[in-house]
Amino acid sequence: MAESLASRSAFSCLLVAVGNGRGVTAIDRDGLGLATIAVRKGSRNALSQRIRDEFRIELPGGPTRAAAGEVAFAGIAPGSWLAMRDQGGNAFAASLAQSTAGLASVTDQSDGYAVLRLTGPMVRAALAKLLPIDLHPRAFQVGAVASTVASHMGVTVWRLPDTGGAAVFELAVFRSLAESFWHALAEGAAEFGLAVGRPC
Amino acid sequence: MSDSAHRLTEGGLIDRRKPLSFTFDGQPYSGFDGDTLASALLGAGVKVVGRSFKYHRPRGILSAGCEEPNALVELRTGARREPNTRATVAELYEGLEARSQNRWPSLALDVGAINSLLSPIFVAGFYYKTFMWPAAFWEKVYEPLIRRAAGLGMATHEADPDRYEKAHAFCDVLIIGGGPAGLAAALSAGRAGARVILCDEDFVVGGRLNAERLEIEGSSGADWARRAEAELRSFGDVRIMPRTTVFGAYDSGISGARTFGALERVSDHLRVPAPHQPRQRLWKIVASRAVLAAGAVERPIVFGGNDRPGVMLASAVRTYVNRFGVAPARQAAVFTSGDDGWKTLSDLAAAGIGVAAVIDARNDVPPALLAAAQRVSARVFTGAHVADARGSHGIHRISIRAGNRIEHVDVDGLAVSGGWNPCAALTTHVGGRPRWSETISAFVPGDLPAGMSVAGAAGGSLTLEAALREGAAAGAEAAAATGFAGAEIPSWRTSEDSAAARPFWHVGECPSKAFVDFQHDVTDGDIALAAREGYRSVELLKRYTTLGMATDQGKTSSLNGHAIMAALTERSIPEVGTTTARPPYTPVAIGAFAGHHRGKEFKPTRLTAGHAWARQNTEVFVEAGQWLRAQWFPRPGEHDWLESVSREVKAVRSSAGVCDVSTLGKIDIQGADAGAFLDRVYINTFSTLPMGKVRYGLMLREDGFVMDDGTTARLGETHYVMSTTTANAAKVMQHLEHARQVLWPELDVQMVSVTEQWAQYAVAGPSSRRLLEGLLGDVIDLSNTAFPYLACAQLAWRGVPVRLFRISFSGEMAYEIAIPARHGDALIRAIMTAGQEFGAVPYGTEALGVMRIEKGHVAGNELNGTTTAGDLGLGRMLSKKKDCIGRVLSGRPGLIDPDRPTLVGVRPVDRKARLHAGAHFLNLGAAATLENDQGYITSVAYSPMLEGWIALGLLARGPSRHGERLLAHSPVRGGDTEVEVVSPIFFDPEGTRLHG
Repeated sequence: MAESLASRSAFSCLLVAVGNGRGVTAIDRDGLGLATIAVRKGSRNALSQRIRDEFRIELPGGPTRAAAGEVAFAGIAPGSWLAMRDQGGNAFAASLAQSTAGLASVTDQSDGYAVLRLTGPMVRAALAKLLPIDLHPRAFQVGAVASTVASHMGVTVWRLPDTGGAAVFELAVFRSLAESFWHALAEGAAEFGLAVGRPC
Repeated sequence: MSDSAHRLTEGGLIDRRKPLSFTFDGQPYSGFDGDTLASALLGAGVKVVGRSFKYHRPRGILSAGCEEPNALVELRTGARREPNTRATVAELYEGLEARSQNRWPSLALDVGAINSLLSPIFVAGFYYKTFMWPAAFWEKVYEPLIRRAAGLGMATHEADPDRYEKAHAFCDVLIIGGGPAGLAAALSAGRAGARVILCDEDFVVGGRLNAERLEIEGSSGADWARRAEAELRSFGDVRIMPRTTVFGAYDSGISGARTFGALERVSDHLRVPAPHQPRQRLWKIVASRAVLAAGAVERPIVFGGNDRPGVMLASAVRTYVNRFGVAPARQAAVFTSGDDGWKTLSDLAAAGIGVAAVIDARNDVPPALLAAAQRVSARVFTGAHVADARGSHGIHRISIRAGNRIEHVDVDGLAVSGGWNPCAALTTHVGGRPRWSETISAFVPGDLPAGMSVAGAAGGSLTLEAALREGAAAGAEAAAATGFAGAEIPSWRTSEDSAAARPFWHVGECPSKAFVDFQHDVTDGDIALAAREGYRSVELLKRYTTLGMATDQGKTSSLNGHAIMAALTERSIPEVGTTTARPPYTPVAIGAFAGHHRGKEFKPTRLTAGHAWARQNTEVFVEAGQWLRAQWFPRPGEHDWLESVSREVKAVRSSAGVCDVSTLGKIDIQGADAGAFLDRVYINTFSTLPMGKVRYGLMLREDGFVMDDGTTARLGETHYVMSTTTANAAKVMQHLEHARQVLWPELDVQMVSVTEQWAQYAVAGPSSRRLLEGLLGDVIDLSNTAFPYLACAQLAWRGVPVRLFRISFSGEMAYEIAIPARHGDALIRAIMTAGQEFGAVPYGTEALGVMRIEKGHVAGNELNGTTTAGDLGLGRMLSKKKDCIGRVLSGRPGLIDPDRPTLVGVRPVDRKARLHAGAHFLNLGAAATLENDQGYITSVAYSPMLEGWIALGLLARGPSRHGERLLAHSPVRGGDTEVEVVSPIFFDPEGTRLHG
């Protein structure tokens, strides 16, 4: 087989630290395997069982995210989830389609979304400039998911468990909007200091 | 005059160790940290700060707050020049440059003041009466004249160098105003545990506590406010936002939470914003409950010369004395109609400022107040009025009318108190109407917006004790309503104050002009004129006289004007009513509403995965919705777009070209009923499409007109992928979702947009197959038999999933190759490398357009929302064997009328002539009238293959008129062109090139 084809992150050449870098850290989640999975008619229970068997995950019934190991399912619409696997790449959608064949429609979105992980002591203040939703710890708990807009761009956001005492969010935007999204984020986060973390 | 001429030696919330220098009209002055521009000017002895709008009268500082109608100045220079800033809310900073407005050549000597001498002409309705005729004069004479005279100050013509941004905040309880009521509300709600946001427009919270000598629990109001603020800041869920004006109340959502607009002046108090800091921040605050504690604005009294510099609201006098350590006068008088004004007497006296007289419009004045006057040897006039104030550049004498007696008293300052108007604007923004209060003779909030309560002066409770009590109760109640009940409601002991007052608006028969609206120069005479001429409704009065229409929205003027109208028309004030306050409460810069959406950031930009590559090869991009698409790829030596585009077309038709088509909408459609679903949304059939095949489809709107077209491929038994036009991608997705969720929920169909997942390139031209064979190697057999026209396949290439479609928009043998977007950059580079030996060129949207016109393919210009399938020559695609969206209504008589304009090709009879899109067809010799209209040209291109201009158009009974000659009439582009009607397929009509 020929050498592997070059891959380019949606945020390639975009992620540049601004200010003192102390308030917010952004991490490119390039490589995250992403797939939308929508249940076929009448297969909700069977699909849940299949996901339980396969991943030891209970498919959420609402806008929340359930994770086990490298895999997670985030509810994004009735009967529809965004499935993700760390470093899963395009192969994740293919394997998920196989394991849920006949029960769900799976569509690869690993390249469709550009995903950033945002954390740091000022992450909420920075996100308040982008998202019109309440990110207070009581209102948007660990595991919460929302489909909303950021500065006129559609975005899906979910909250991961805190690390180092700071809240952690991941935001997925359509890949083509990566530059506009980063610009809006960086403008707002600059005053708090925006650092770029190592991809994970 | 010395800088400290009017500065007290002690007291106030200014820091005398931190002097700040500034200039006003070029003169250097100094003030202190904690000053506003107004207090610094007064401290420096500056009395005249501007000229009035209409009469150019010298004006001083009337107030100490956001209601200021007079002291509008221009701040800063260059690109940051900012007109119409109220000096009373502009925080002083080192190096501040301020200038007076509306004067020429100087503030002291202003030629525009001639207007004042001509004032009998410039009365209400002046413009309506004067500029009526002759009509021809309007554009040439009157409008330029009015435009030059109109407006205040001058905006800069340079781009604003500062950033503005928007932010969102959420809370249980929003408290609007940080005075005693607001602080009390915040304390009780905060102690209960609620999420509280307290916004205050001032840079020091405390409101009137900082301006009065009232006490709470034995300490000064200002100290109490500092302690309250410190306690609030200790709560994790309480946020104090100073320099923030809540300017509007908006709709509430289903949860009952209401949205408020607020402007935070982040850096207005700095010469230049700190690095990465915006100048201003526009907040959208969503609050479950809101407590309006915005206080009240003191009313002036209408009397002769009441606009003279030195005449000031009594509360403002106290603010300058108590908060800023400034003596606005050396020898003052107080003109009041209530007890509140008398506070000014004792505050002035305590600061060592002489008080010559107190004039109270009431006959009965409490003895304690009279005794206070006696102690400082101030003369007292009861049942008396100030009829006139003299001194155009600063008053020096007032005339007091008591009964028939007129007395003159020499003063250089007059404190005026006509009562208080609650700041109830936010209660009316969503439709509430204010209610008249006999108790305070002012409009108070009536029906409140759901979820809002009012506390303190904003609700008409004007004493400190009431403000604290109501604030604490409102805060606790709001917290309890959001689930934080049970906390004890705090209470505080206060010093006594009295708000007893008698309504008093207007001193009649004054010897000089008496102003109602200072900012718009509306006098009592204008109100009388409006009454005489029948403009008696407050809405008509407002528009006829412009009362209350200035940027201050009549905060100090409307009620006085309405009261005068009520008296003139012998009605009560509630009968006369009041006008409606609308957002914003105070002016908000457009920059704040724009936020960072300016220039290229006006809207988001979508870039394809191949954009970086395209950027290396062209600078010419066109916006297609939010997308940027390469328009053409110029080569050195090419002179214009036509040369580049023609070269690209010829290269594609002779060998190969590559075009980024990633922007076309792509929708993944799966499910057991996916085929049936497609049959219902397309006019043609897709359930019968074999796997591995592609079909062109056309979909209609419900009303029978064409919605969009594109190809759909069948990838698997239950798996299709649809393509849409770039422009309609989102609309089609929405249409399909509606069909799936609402029309046919019983179908087993799932769909999701994959536009962004796949980078897709069209590879077109006679060499395209060989190019792809070279690129893909042996992973697929591309021979005509194995992979014919309209075939599709999924394959793995260099470990990456790839989709290949044999479809063509150019009419050439062509393919579209799709790859996960992260490899889009690598793929386009690989294609170009593989294409080198064939001389393959990249081509842009222009060449794409030329080739589709040469082939008679319809696009956005023809899919324009007014065409049917039949109009586009695609009527035969409509399957008779099944139903689909739009089928029934597409059969309406009007839509199947054979006279409908239908797709044709058009060429100029003179092959060198140019054609213009939009030109209308006329029969030769027919007049250019609507009745004679035969249709119009939709798309035009220069065809390098035919070496002439060609066009597509919609022509009545078009298909039967091939060979006919018509006139293409284009009046806007200057010219009629004789054209010949031809088949819309100009190039390779047999389609042999398609099959290779």
